[in-house]
Amino acid sequence: MRTRPRHHWIVRVTHWVNAVALVVMIGSGLRIFNAYPAFARKGESFCCWPWEGQPIPGWATFGGWLAGARHWHFAAMWVLVVNGLIYLAFIYLHGEWRDLSPRRGDLRDVREMLRFYFFLSREHPRQGKHNTLQRGTYFVMPWIGALIVLTGIAIWKPVSLGWLTALFGGYVWARYWHFVAMLVLIALSAIHIFMVFAVDPYSLRSMTTGGYSERLSPEARNARPFYHLLPKWGRRAPPIDGARNSATSKEPT
Amino acid sequence: MTQLRTLRLVESALCRLNGRDVEPPPIPLDRRDFLAAGAGLLVTSLLAACDASGPKGSDELLKYAEGRNEVVERWLLRHTSMNRARDGWKAAGSRFPAYFVSKTIPKWNPATNGEWALEVNGLVDKPLRLTLADLVALPRRRQRVSHFCVEGWTAVAEFAGVPLAHLASMVRPHADARYVDFQSFDDNYHESWDMESATHPQTLIVYGKDGMMLPPPYGAPARLHSPVKLGYKNVKYLTRISFMAERNGGYWSDQGYEWYGGT
Repeated sequence: MRTRPRHHWIVRVTHWVNAVALVVMIGSGLRIFNAYPAFARKGESFCCWPWEGQPIPGWATFGGWLAGARHWHFAAMWVLVVNGLIYLAFIYLHGEWRDLSPRRGDLRDVREMLRFYFFLSREHPRQGKHNTLQRGTYFVMPWIGALIVLTGIAIWKPVSLGWLTALFGGYVWARYWHFVAMLVLIALSAIHIFMVFAVDPYSLRSMTTGGYSERLSPEARNARPFYHLLPKWGRRAPPIDGARNSATSKEPT
Repeated sequence: MTQLRTLRLVESALCRLNGRDVEPPPIPLDRRDFLAAGAGLLVTSLLAACDASGPKGSDELLKYAEGRNEVVERWLLRHTSMNRARDGWKAAGSRFPAYFVSKTIPKWNPATNGEWALEVNGLVDKPLRLTLADLVALPRRRQRVSHFCVEGWTAVAEFAGVPLAHLASMVRPHADARYVDFQSFDDNYHESWDMESATHPQTLIVYGKDGMMLPPPYGAPARLHSPVKLGYKNVKYLTRISFMAERNGGYWSDQGYEWYGGT
């Protein structure tokens, strides 16, 4: 009998489509930003951006020139939005949202997780499918994505959908929040990618083919960034004393 | 090592036969991991192989997306959605960027060109020729609006002028006139618009800015201005407005910017 894939194929496909669409959106968005790398309305100053006038380095941009970047941005936005809606509809209907939504005691668990990562506690806190930091990140990302999409629509159609633009404080602020939300998403994605390679490279397999062994979970390996990347060969079965209980059992002990 | 590997494969097969939900210790970098890593590498190298403007052959896809977007944008356009600059937003005044494609500020010279006049013609019942005095005498609309540049900046100004919808009602376009072209004396700069945007109540033939007659850097004697289109669609230094059955591109549209350019 084959074990159930760790991630449903719809989650796996939408994850990678999202990754490619995000790279295109961010690169072309930064190229568009460079046409006016500031936020101030002409004749005004802007309070909240210390780098007014400072362009993004060319290597981080995509699309070649302003018109090219705009075409890419306005084409890839549909991929991003449709793909995102498929993902959200799926996890809602299929129940995966339960793995990602906040729970009581999350704050305490965040502290426990950070204590472990910073060598202040020896044992990996118990977890279900994801640890608390992951769950928080994966929960917040779609909300930031929604903010990016809405502010994006607001600066795409500031007259036809002027009510939406007004909701964000007008064009200048909508453009600002569009940019800041993108920066937050980049930061979260960077941490995500770092942690994949530093803590759980086996999740690459679970996000492509779906295969995963709970013996390889960070909890089973007691893994911190760059610590215990390889599983212990000798360990045949998870300990049964509950001290480091395998993530195969999600029931509370 | 190979023996160990074989053992594990056998063990793994046995586990599956037994229907146990436990997997044996893994073999580092198995076939699937190898494939996954390979796929990742392929995507990365593909991305690296295309230049900064994207993979070759993507142009048609982008053209298609532009066409679909235009359908959405035209559907979203309402003559009832109005733009208004909030009172707290400062007018750009002289900080409003002046822009033209000629080497120097285009100026109409009556000595060589005769008195300036705006032609309104094409597929219309009653073509018109309007001097500045004629324009000023027509019903006037003043609006304090934002100007949206394709580059991402905005500027506030109070524009005064004649709604193009009023001019249209004077010349009476034919039923098949679905586009309007705006021609300037700034080195042949022109842009064509869809009829719906052109007849939006905020689309004006502007001769006044911030309470004064329009100065030459901003398109004197008369320019087109509407918040419903991006800056490059708002032709300055107007000479002719033509109602047409087909669109005929424009200065920036022909160079690759969106023809629709709506806000």
